[in-house]
Amino acid sequence: MRIVHYLNQFFGGIGGEEEANSPLQEADNAVGPGRLLEQTLGDGATVVRTLICGDNHAVENQEELVDAVVERVREADADLFVAGPCFDAGRYGMAAGALCSAVQTELGIPAVTAMHEENPGVDLYREGLYIVDSGRNAAKMKEVVQRMAGLARKLVAGDPIGLPREEGYLTRGLIRDQFVDKSSAERLVDMVLAKVQDRSFDTEMPVTSFEPVARPRGVDDLSQAKVMLITDGGLVPKGNPDNIEGMAATRWGAYDISGADDLAGEDYEISHGGYDPRFVQADPDRLVPLDALRQLEKEGAVGKIHGEFLSTSGLSNPLSNTRRLGREMAEKVKQEGVDAVILTST
Amino acid sequence: MNLTLAYHPVRALRFGTPTRLDGTTLDIDTDDLRALLLEDEALADVAFEQVAPGEDCRAGPVFDIIEPRAKTAGDGPDFPGILGPPLTAGKGTTHVLSGMAVTVLDEHAAGGSRGSIGRVLEMTGPAAEGSCYSPLHHLVVVPRMAPGKDGATAQRAKRVAGLKTAVYLAQASTAHAPSESQTFNPVDPGPPGRQGLPRVAYVGQIFSRQRRAELDEPVLYGHNTTGMLPVLLHPDEWLDGAVVTSYYTSMGGAETYLYQNHPIITELYRRHHTGELNFVGTVASIAGSDNTDRDRNCRAAASLVKWALNADAAVLTKYGGGVPHADLAETARLLESEGIRTSVMVSDVSRDRRVESALLFNFPEVDAIVYGGGNDTRWEVRPAARVIAATPAIGELLAGARELGAMNVAGVTNQQGASRLRAVVY
Repeated sequence: MRIVHYLNQFFGGIGGEEEANSPLQEADNAVGPGRLLEQTLGDGATVVRTLICGDNHAVENQEELVDAVVERVREADADLFVAGPCFDAGRYGMAAGALCSAVQTELGIPAVTAMHEENPGVDLYREGLYIVDSGRNAAKMKEVVQRMAGLARKLVAGDPIGLPREEGYLTRGLIRDQFVDKSSAERLVDMVLAKVQDRSFDTEMPVTSFEPVARPRGVDDLSQAKVMLITDGGLVPKGNPDNIEGMAATRWGAYDISGADDLAGEDYEISHGGYDPRFVQADPDRLVPLDALRQLEKEGAVGKIHGEFLSTSGLSNPLSNTRRLGREMAEKVKQEGVDAVILTST
Repeated sequence: MNLTLAYHPVRALRFGTPTRLDGTTLDIDTDDLRALLLEDEALADVAFEQVAPGEDCRAGPVFDIIEPRAKTAGDGPDFPGILGPPLTAGKGTTHVLSGMAVTVLDEHAAGGSRGSIGRVLEMTGPAAEGSCYSPLHHLVVVPRMAPGKDGATAQRAKRVAGLKTAVYLAQASTAHAPSESQTFNPVDPGPPGRQGLPRVAYVGQIFSRQRRAELDEPVLYGHNTTGMLPVLLHPDEWLDGAVVTSYYTSMGGAETYLYQNHPIITELYRRHHTGELNFVGTVASIAGSDNTDRDRNCRAAASLVKWALNADAAVLTKYGGGVPHADLAETARLLESEGIRTSVMVSDVSRDRRVESALLFNFPEVDAIVYGGGNDTRWEVRPAARVIAATPAIGELLAGARELGAMNVAGVTNQQGASRLRAVVY
């Protein structure tokens, strides 16, 4: 196994903070933790190149560093790239994460690093990488390197990787299927018994929590405001001109309502596989309440209704996708000078 | 309420006259059975095939899978509300042909969210290993509809044909002594020594109003569930034919077989009998069609668990996709707010394989979650030596080497608790 190992100036033996600006340098043998890694991996594992860079230099010149390191790893014909362990050193973690991620993507070889859970490199790179949980400092260096070696061996051999707790890496936040011995019925009863008896249990899915969205300032004067209607109920003109998918939609559309006081069922269809659409089909205003809003506009309670409504289909859609849809719609809302939006869902 | 299941193991199927149980071999008189099924004028014809475990065979799309069961004469109707009057199920003795199933095929390729092949019965190879149906002998029933009989009429005809076949076959066993029988002790926490055990209930959705039930679609005692509120059921009612699966089972799967052998109810019974808990009863619930419907249903289900069952804890399952997922969580939240501890099972809805997209709720108190997998498992299966399908076109679609996703194989993913396929966080 041919390994290229990345270290910062401190673990690379150049010096402390005073050497944090030192540029990328290299050795053709194992250095510092690399020697321990070589020993732990044993027969056939060689650190063929050690790359060392000062922490400041690394973060200030990250793009050049990434290019240079990827090139060095390519030249070395490595089977594995290792960075760190970085413990709670933030700049070191950021560089290690960027480098591992680039090497993995560009060269298709596995990469392993190690950090403390609170290292800023973890937040940025955890999803794409196996980051061994290193603790805050080098106190458990040997254990950490052992875990890195264990993961590295499996990754290089293409063996299946166990769960975070078994292998010692930080949860990546991803899901994969696995056959288990106990049926879901048995697991459900195990869990409810543990819960009702105040014993500890492991949920199979952590409860998700999201940053609260701050309530924006109210509309000062609705009678002067331009209002837009947006729905995720999948209402589209007949023929679904933008091919908005009825499930896990990747697209949204803007549809003209400038001349209309009322939406008629025969002009629209519903691209949404998750609700009983009969009532909306019979009268689309039940989903996109143009008729009522137009009335308010006529009465002067609302300044002006924007000439298009926006629509997509909100069903089984991953957040990575809906965030993009939301951003795109928000841009449109801003461009059109809209003051208020009424969002309707199903 | 005291149901006895009398088991007659079946180790071979044989087409022959008359229909009878010969040791562990079931002889099936297909002409006799066909005549019985063709009493339904919606059916033009029906074909039968027998399949053994391990056979290089693929059949599909599967409409339903049913365990052959027949009640002792005088102990009540089989599948009450569908094949007989809607009298209470779960009483007396029901004879079971264990180790086999009746598998009814659809006459159309399924389409919809599970793709063109729907769910298939896969009897050998890697995909079969994950299914609870591949170890069984199957009598595959392939109905052909009479001209002009389609839609709800055809669905009903397939449902009834499957149930009638299941009863007809098991009637061959009712005069025999079973090799084993199982009686479920009535749910009763009264006896000494049981007072301190947690009182556990099961709350299972049996339908989601995201789809309109057909007028004559039998789900609960033959009723299509329209307008129904959650209802108390004795566990034995589930096991004895009170509930059958809806026509819509595409999200995660549910077969009548797994109501008859309900994995959660049988597990709660097992733990009841080993003295780990008091299984106090069940509630059959419905996922709502809108917020009002949701609130009404979730609150009614929670109230039954609290006030009628006086439970300390409850296990909850859903039926279908996103709306049922949200209703399940809301019911659990209401129960938790009443001090009733819950565990819930949800199926994988995270299409980008990220944890952040995995749940449709974020209630901190609903924190005991079993997470079923399926979106991430597929097999490259070899061509099948034998294919059973209603039409040559579907047969051709199924025959070749192809990719089969976990959700396309009956018995791999399941919302009644049978599945061993889990989605793990890494």
